[in-house]
Amino acid sequence: MSRQSLASRDSNLGLPETCLSFEIRGPWAHFRRVEGNIVKQTYRIPPRTTVAGIVAAMLGLERDGYYDAFGPGSSRVAIEPVGELRTMNVPQNTLSTANEHLKTVPSRGHTRISMPDPTELRQQHNYELIVDPAYRIDLQLADDDLFERFRDRLESGTSYYPPSLGLSEHLAEVEFLGSFDVQEHDPETVRVDSAVVNATDSIEVEPEKRVRVERAPGYMAADEGGRTTTDFLSVGYSPAGESLLVADAATAHVDGRRVMFS
Amino acid sequence: MSLLPTPYEFEKQYEDDEELATELPDRPITSLRDLQYLYGRLYTLATAGGGEYASYLTPEKSTDLFDEPESLAVLRVDLSGDEPRLDPEQPVQFRTYTRDLVEPVAHSWFNAARGFDHSITHRTGKGKDPEKIAEYLTERLTAWAADDVIQETVTDHEDGWIVEALAELGEQEDIDDRIQGAVEERLEGSTTALTTVAVKLEPDGEYRLPGACGSDVFNVAMRARKRSKLVSKGEATNSAGQATDLVTGSRGRTVGTAEDPLNYFLGKQLEKFPGFDPNEAWRTHPISEDVAVTLMNASTFVDACSYYTLESNVYYLPYFFGRITPEEARELYRMLHDVVVEDDLTPVEKVYKAYNRDEIHEELATRMRFYVAAVLKHQMKRFDVFGDTLDCTLFHPVGLASAHDAVTNSWVFDADATLPHSDVRPAMPTHENWEMLVADEEYLLGSITNGWYFRTTFAEPDDDQTASADDFRIQALVAALSGDPIPASTVLEEYVERLLDDEGEGFPTFRVATQYAQLCALAEAGLLDGEDESLTKATTYTDQSMTHTTDTRARADGGSDREKREAKLELFLEETPALSSENPERRGGFLLGVLVGQVTGYQQVSEGRSTTLVDQYPIKAITDTKVKRLTSDVIDKDVIYSRDKGLPSTMYGEVVDRIVETLPKVDADGGWSIDTSELRYYYALGVAYGMNNWTTSDEPTEDNEATESAEATDD
Repeated sequence: MSRQSLASRDSNLGLPETCLSFEIRGPWAHFRRVEGNIVKQTYRIPPRTTVAGIVAAMLGLERDGYYDAFGPGSSRVAIEPVGELRTMNVPQNTLSTANEHLKTVPSRGHTRISMPDPTELRQQHNYELIVDPAYRIDLQLADDDLFERFRDRLESGTSYYPPSLGLSEHLAEVEFLGSFDVQEHDPETVRVDSAVVNATDSIEVEPEKRVRVERAPGYMAADEGGRTTTDFLSVGYSPAGESLLVADAATAHVDGRRVMFS
Repeated sequence: MSLLPTPYEFEKQYEDDEELATELPDRPITSLRDLQYLYGRLYTLATAGGGEYASYLTPEKSTDLFDEPESLAVLRVDLSGDEPRLDPEQPVQFRTYTRDLVEPVAHSWFNAARGFDHSITHRTGKGKDPEKIAEYLTERLTAWAADDVIQETVTDHEDGWIVEALAELGEQEDIDDRIQGAVEERLEGSTTALTTVAVKLEPDGEYRLPGACGSDVFNVAMRARKRSKLVSKGEATNSAGQATDLVTGSRGRTVGTAEDPLNYFLGKQLEKFPGFDPNEAWRTHPISEDVAVTLMNASTFVDACSYYTLESNVYYLPYFFGRITPEEARELYRMLHDVVVEDDLTPVEKVYKAYNRDEIHEELATRMRFYVAAVLKHQMKRFDVFGDTLDCTLFHPVGLASAHDAVTNSWVFDADATLPHSDVRPAMPTHENWEMLVADEEYLLGSITNGWYFRTTFAEPDDDQTASADDFRIQALVAALSGDPIPASTVLEEYVERLLDDEGEGFPTFRVATQYAQLCALAEAGLLDGEDESLTKATTYTDQSMTHTTDTRARADGGSDREKREAKLELFLEETPALSSENPERRGGFLLGVLVGQVTGYQQVSEGRSTTLVDQYPIKAITDTKVKRLTSDVIDKDVIYSRDKGLPSTMYGEVVDRIVETLPKVDADGGWSIDTSELRYYYALGVAYGMNNWTTSDEPTEDNEATESAEATDD
């Protein structure tokens, strides 16, 4: 399923042959896994939708207004963890969001918002945080205007909204690495530097070599009520930040590295 | 007892690879939900065949009640007349729940703290008294039959009147008192039971249980109730919408509050939902109805693969890496079946045993993975998860067990290993009552997975009733299972804290030895982390024999003992990276400990003193500021004993010489910078070493010298 969909995507993309590469890092990150709300576990690799959100934030795009620009036909993203991915359990004091603890202001009228009451007692919850995360992102965008605007942002080191890693309190640094040609390769058995997308069963399993997998939102769409995920992606990666050997993998050459785009 | 078919029966039923492949997920397992879905599929494949409601029932939930007395409490309701009524003669009947009652009872369990089960049959908590049993029975009428979803569903059913009549009976004024009276008449003490109703539909008919009453109305209602829970839970009333199912990836109607066998996802915490609205849960957590029911069916296997240790629930769910093949699916079923039917071993032990016995499974063992998580429950629905990971292999706990086994079989621990002289003790003491010092690999593996391995060496929290985020034992447990290293410095802090707790009752020699065996094993298994490489590097005690021996000449002054001890000490220091000469602080602390232990041994054996040097210099007395003064005190003491004994040289000179050589290096290196717990741990290790460092000639015999000479001559 995985390789087929990648191949079909390749052929119908009207994407430029160049990608923008940047590194994003920070002291902490938390990308909440969708299967938990009581527990606060994190993905180790930022979901593709999160990367899109970070870029959109740097560009100052409107909420729910950028999903098409980052859709499967109009963008490609490769994510490579730089260095080891280490997590830590960090208890945090949080406000209850149970109904009885929510404060609605103003108390009457049409336009009211609910928020946790800051005068309430805090509850302690354990957050799984990534420590010192760093990722290299390679991004292709079909929308020339957005692509150039983003290049300008990266070159000038500016951002419309402050970029963060998952939660707003985990601020991120962004470093522009340059624009690079993307050279496609036919499927082959090769060491892949980026996270392996939708081909986890093609990763060569070696005893005592650590390979991790996770499944996270890949693409989103807006509807009248909000937004939904339109596709989930499975990624495989090495927690030590090493490359993985993948059989029959459709990869691309970027800046001397082999990456898998999604 | 289990209702699951045996692995052989399962294999017979699904022997066709192609056919089985169509029933299995067509994607690799890459999330916890994928794994739960696979378990649910296997469970349904194994147990389905009982008709269209099979996947909604949960017979496995009560197999523990089979053949137990008073394990089925039945409210007998006569619906054959104009008015529903309790049976006048025997309104409540207590029976023994048996295997052939599974279908008639038609139980569908629901994981809710204060809710009722999906089916009219409801399982009570453990050991309920008659009053509580009566309350459960009453609720069959007042809560289940009167439930909105159920009432709405049965309206359209031709036999809906049955359920309506039960609700009507529940409205009778004194119904609860009458039921309570009937229960008290028949039940003494307490019981754990399935509570249900039996209905009589014809005047001359019999009382029949819900699944055998001749109508499927109870099952239809149960199914509706179960489905309703997919969209409503907590604050959510109707969480459903069009989205992409996160397991299958197909688009369609999804529900947001599907039951999660691990309870990671509940409707309660609004913060995760768009606009604080639990009805929008399906947007963040979209699951189709079919998948949702399948996930629920995973709970039998999920529950069986969990165990309680260190005040937390540890889940250990086996699977195979990548997309599961039919062969692997049958193998996985075999494992899960075994875990369900035998509950004395943890899943990892079972799998280990199977793979250890059977070499043809090597390929499978390579692809074998575990999902591991330690879940700390603070309250019913508020809990934290530690070290949750999909990628554990058998290698990590087995590797640790085998490293531990190797170190306790090395010359450092094992008296049977070849030592330079038959009268020299191993470096560390062992005792058959201390399992971690003498156990085999299989026992060790069990103790690693069941938590004992760290419970016996790490500090005990002040409040051992409540799980805590700071309980390092849990982190160590998950690390041992998942292969994620833990900081060596924290391990030493835990060790020292435990030793300080122990110290009141004499020096904890065997605890120190146990911890040390573990420390060596952790290093060998690559599970220690830290900037100081010498602390995390494995020791090299791998040989069963000491690698070099010395030619010891007979010496009348007891000097041959010194040479034997010296050879051992030299080797120990050489093969222990943490004690290399580049680490004078740790080495100095250790040597001080050795001398204290050694002199203590002398005081006990030769002087018969009850208060010894180690009582004067306990672990907690050791700090970097005091260590120099303590050292000179201890050496003084040693010199005095040597003089008293009339020896020509200082006793334990091999230790004193090394102390004198080592400690000045600390100042040359810029003074003490070592962490106190590290210093204390290595001091304690030295004491244990020193106290164990006696030779046969140290025995208080009158003809010591003669024995010694004779032995030395034999060399």
